[in-house]
Amino acid sequence: MAKTFYLEIIATDRVFFQGNVEHLVITALDGLLGILPGHEPLVTCLPVGELKYMIEGVWRYAAISEGFIEVMPDRAVILADHCELPEEIDIKRAEEEKQRAEEMLKQKQSIRDYYMTQAALNRAMNRLKVSQKKFK
Amino acid sequence: MPNIREIKERIDSIRQILKITNAMYLISSSKLKKARKALDSTEPYFYKLQETIESVLEHTPHMRQMYFDRRSDIPEDKRKKGYIVITGDKGLCGSYNHNILKYTDKLLEGDDPGNCYLYVMGQVGRMYYQRRMMSGKQAFVDGEFLYTTQNPTLYRAAEIAQTVIDKFSSGDLDEVHLVYTDMVSSSTQENRTLRLLPFERRHFGKSKDGTEKKLPKASFAPSPEKVMDYLIPNYAKGIIYGAMVEAFCCEQQSRMTAMDSATNSAKDMIKELSLLYNRARQAAITQEITEVCGGAAANRG
Repeated sequence: MAKTFYLEIIATDRVFFQGNVEHLVITALDGLLGILPGHEPLVTCLPVGELKYMIEGVWRYAAISEGFIEVMPDRAVILADHCELPEEIDIKRAEEEKQRAEEMLKQKQSIRDYYMTQAALNRAMNRLKVSQKKFK
Repeated sequence: MPNIREIKERIDSIRQILKITNAMYLISSSKLKKARKALDSTEPYFYKLQETIESVLEHTPHMRQMYFDRRSDIPEDKRKKGYIVITGDKGLCGSYNHNILKYTDKLLEGDDPGNCYLYVMGQVGRMYYQRRMMSGKQAFVDGEFLYTTQNPTLYRAAEIAQTVIDKFSSGDLDEVHLVYTDMVSSSTQENRTLRLLPFERRHFGKSKDGTEKKLPKASFAPSPEKVMDYLIPNYAKGIIYGAMVEAFCCEQQSRMTAMDSATNSAKDMIKELSLLYNRARQAAITQEITEVCGGAAANRG
């Protein structure tokens, strides 16, 4: 069995990553999911969360917001709204976004607005979480 | 022989217009550069999304799901069709708006106007269809669907996707199409229609020799229905965003070309008119000299 598989991560604003990886761990709807080469065909959704993949024994981290993944035995494609490396995250901005979302949640909103704010809060918190990774 | 002053005034007014068109040319070319960059970075996503969804659907087991429901019990002439049409916010961009509106008109031709619902992005298209709606012979335009086409954002695309998906699931719409202008190359643009909902599934893709391809079924976590519930709104959002980026880039491109040719023809006109002006001036001088000479001759004699 091949030791690596071809991974493509494509965000709406750029091609985030293309290349061979040894191991991929994603946050799926119901928890973490590890993918090794030769995985069975699988389609699942990625909520806002964290993502890591291993190249030559080194883990790389990224923050990802809403997307889905298609896994085939020899390749995987992730399509997401946004994808960022821990270094790229602007912590201050993420914190401001978090505060803004929290404030908005205290107001009375329509259900749709409520979900939107909640999603924004999720994204901000996820960014903050992933941004801690770079110091490890 | 035209009046010298008249020609002069005309040249001046053309110069003023030239300044405006030239400024608009510069503005749109810098906007185009930005739009191009956005397009270049979004295009891989846009195409990969369509490709991946197709391959996902090939591997999808049969299921009953809201977004796949073709509602075939509703006869063709009773189906409520929604069209998201992406036009420009402003005019002065050559045939860009005209083309997309003509194209949409053609699409709507066969349908009963009572069953068509238009969701128009961009001022130009909205005004066009609202005016026609008032005269009572055109499809219904959603007046609350107010979105600009400038500087497309994912957030706006998400709102639009949410709106149409809500309408679709509540039964207000049976079909949703997306009409936009696609940038084929920097000089060619093409109007396109994409069906967003219901989802088309080619269950078994036919391979070249006519036999049915046997595709392995993929597993879906947690369940195919759950995944589709999540994936399809996401797909709609991605597609709408991609189309918005394409259309915005096309608009800037057409505006740039239109303003460039306007500037050029203004320059040509100025050239012609200044020739005319010089001729008229020369004629006036010649006439004056003749008059002076004539006068002098008369005095001498």
